[in-house]
Amino acid sequence: MEKITSVKEWSVAIRINHWAMALSIFILIVTGFYIATPFTIAQGETVNKFFMGNVRFVHLLFGVILLFLFIWRVYLAFFSRFHADWKDFLAWTNIKNFIHQIKFYLLITKEGPDYKTLYGPLQSLAYLGLLFMVLVICITGLILMGAGYHKGFTYVAATILTPVENLLGGLAMVRYIHHIFTWFFILFIVVHIYMAFWYDAVLKKGTVSSMISGNIFKKVKE
Amino acid sequence: MAKGNHSEHKKMIDKQYKDLMKHCQTHMEQVDKTLPEPKENLHELLTERGISRRDFVKWTSAATAALMLPPIFRPMVAKAAENFSRLPVVWLHFAECTGCSEALLRSSYPNVDDILLETISLEYHETLMAASGYQAEKCLEEAIHTFAGKFICVIEGALPRGLDGKYLTLGPKGKTGIEVAKEVTSKAAAVICIGSCSAFGNIQAANPNPTDSVSISKALGISTVNIAGCPPNSVNFTGTLLHYLMFGGLPALDSLGRPVWAYGKRIHDYCERRPHYDASEYVDEWGDAGALKGWCLYKVGCKGPYTYANCGKVRFNDGISWPIMAGHGCIGCTEPDFWDTMAPLEKPLPDKSYNGREATVDNIGIALTGITALGIAAHATATALRHKDDDQAQKQEVKHD
Ligand code: HEM
Ligand code: HEM
Ligand code: SF4
Ligand code: SF4
Repeated sequence: MEKITSVKEWSVAIRINHWAMALSIFILIVTGFYIATPFTIAQGETVNKFFMGNVRFVHLLFGVILLFLFIWRVYLAFFSRFHADWKDFLAWTNIKNFIHQIKFYLLITKEGPDYKTLYGPLQSLAYLGLLFMVLVICITGLILMGAGYHKGFTYVAATILTPVENLLGGLAMVRYIHHIFTWFFILFIVVHIYMAFWYDAVLKKGTVSSMISGNIFKKVKE
Repeated sequence: MAKGNHSEHKKMIDKQYKDLMKHCQTHMEQVDKTLPEPKENLHELLTERGISRRDFVKWTSAATAALMLPPIFRPMVAKAAENFSRLPVVWLHFAECTGCSEALLRSSYPNVDDILLETISLEYHETLMAASGYQAEKCLEEAIHTFAGKFICVIEGALPRGLDGKYLTLGPKGKTGIEVAKEVTSKAAAVICIGSCSAFGNIQAANPNPTDSVSISKALGISTVNIAGCPPNSVNFTGTLLHYLMFGGLPALDSLGRPVWAYGKRIHDYCERRPHYDASEYVDEWGDAGALKGWCLYKVGCKGPYTYANCGKVRFNDGISWPIMAGHGCIGCTEPDFWDTMAPLEKPLPDKSYNGREATVDNIGIALTGITALGIAAHATATALRHKDDDQAQKQEVKHD
């Protein structure tokens, strides 16, 4: 007889980290697009207006928050006391599972591969890619931020990153790359959310709610 | 405690400036002994051009401040200005339009900086000298021989590397630009690249760069002082030479060889339209109401946020105006590869098009998101069909037990 039990999959830290990241990214996309293509506010006196100033403030604030969330996530991957999952990010190195997983997603097979890791082979690659994107957008963001400051933490960070700035071809290119990665985030998130619901519908393990409650359902043979 | 630290800090700075002053004085005495006599009397020349003593004193204050030195250095700046014509200079032209020379030496309202440049002791300058052919060649050889290790080599123009450098040949012997540059720079005390061509390659090196033009530092593998700009501001050049005359060394440079005192901040940081940027007041179209009110030029393509230069601070034509003041955005002329990285020059960066029409990042992004959404819809439908019987299968499994 099979029984369905609830198993803890995500620690509190991972869940807080995930939703804080999701919120930050959402705010960063909205404010970022305003910075890229602002609309003019014609009404009122210049001295009473500071809209772009405020939008930039919010963008930079959540940018720095995202930076620290990223550092925290990497820390958890190696030092989490619940489950340090850095090895799980390498699930894609199992080629057999990888191909099996693609067949499952393409609906060729009805059952996915059996893996012991936290993530499936494609998931591990996707999350690795997502974390890499966060890294790139944080680095380009820090360079852009440091350009306007001439003192303090940001200035030091931007100075250290100057070789990267020159390598990418100056501030204009850094800004353009930052913009392109914004679109990568949008594309990724659309698929990410769909896949979460897809897992929910196909595997019926409560994937969506697992990122909230921390628990996932598993069938166990008695 | 904090106060004590503060006064200690001040003491330290005072001491540093005192040491710097001593260094400056000894260096300038040294210069007095070693450099040739001044070729021109600066004060006579200034009077001739209708610039009063007072104007000159005012200029020394401004120049001292521009070099980020405290006022006690004013007399030294004045002295260095008088010594300007004692510094031997060899001025080379490579792949360029001579616009920098024109801009620096031919202003209609010359200020002290421009007059200073006129006094410069040009041992060799192809556009300005009378000699030509073999005679010119001899001048150059003599100059680098007589002043070996002492002269400043100023370079205008990029170096084409294509065809073994033969896209650019100079003089009666048909030497390539790279050969001439190697010969002269190896004997120079310092190499100053004037203009974005010699500094970064500029338009010659812009995509597709058929002659494979590159900057001097890249072509020769040497480090240069880069007075970037297309054309650069005369103040940035004279200031750097004044610094050299005063301290016997080059000013602090940024990672791209540009003097920090001139290129340390962005156009956007000095811009008088900046309050309009922060207030979301933009010119949407040339000549609209916002343009009349002097609003920010960000949406008509200003590249001030990506450009390190002091144009807004020192301005052009004796401080009369500068591009953004005149109503056009910055095009980023002091940055490497600006023709490519700052394009389109009169539109914001994300409006760069890949097919000359609608293919901008944002439109491509929207299209890809649409395709993704369609893909998701198709996948979801297919999944519903394929996994339709899952529930039943499970039930049957249970029954089977
Ligand atoms: C339906 C809701 C969602 C579910 C069930 C979900 C689930 C997950 C899961 C299981 C992971 C891997 C866990 C991990 O490695 O920490 C993950 C990672 C990630 N998610 Fe989501 N997600 C959802 C929505 C979102 C949204 C809306 C965003 C962004 C706006 C987002 C951004 C990210 C990022 C950046 C990562 C990778 C970073 C990391 O591995 O921690 N997610 N998500
Ligand atoms: C998912 C994360 C992020 C997204 C989607 C995002 C999006 C954007 C976009 C679309 C722009 C406008 C680019 C353009 O003009 O073409 C921008 C600008 C900028 N972003 Fe981000 N960004 C993110 C993260 C960050 C981070 C982490 C930082 C800093 C640590 C940052 C700092 C900046 C700065 C300084 C600017 C330029 C603002 C200005 O110069 O006025 N961003 N961002
Ligand atoms: S005009 Fe250009 S440099 Fe000036 S505030 Fe606007 S964007 Fe910045
Ligand atoms: S405002 Fe910009 S484009 Fe114009 S001269 Fe200055 S740096 Fe060059």
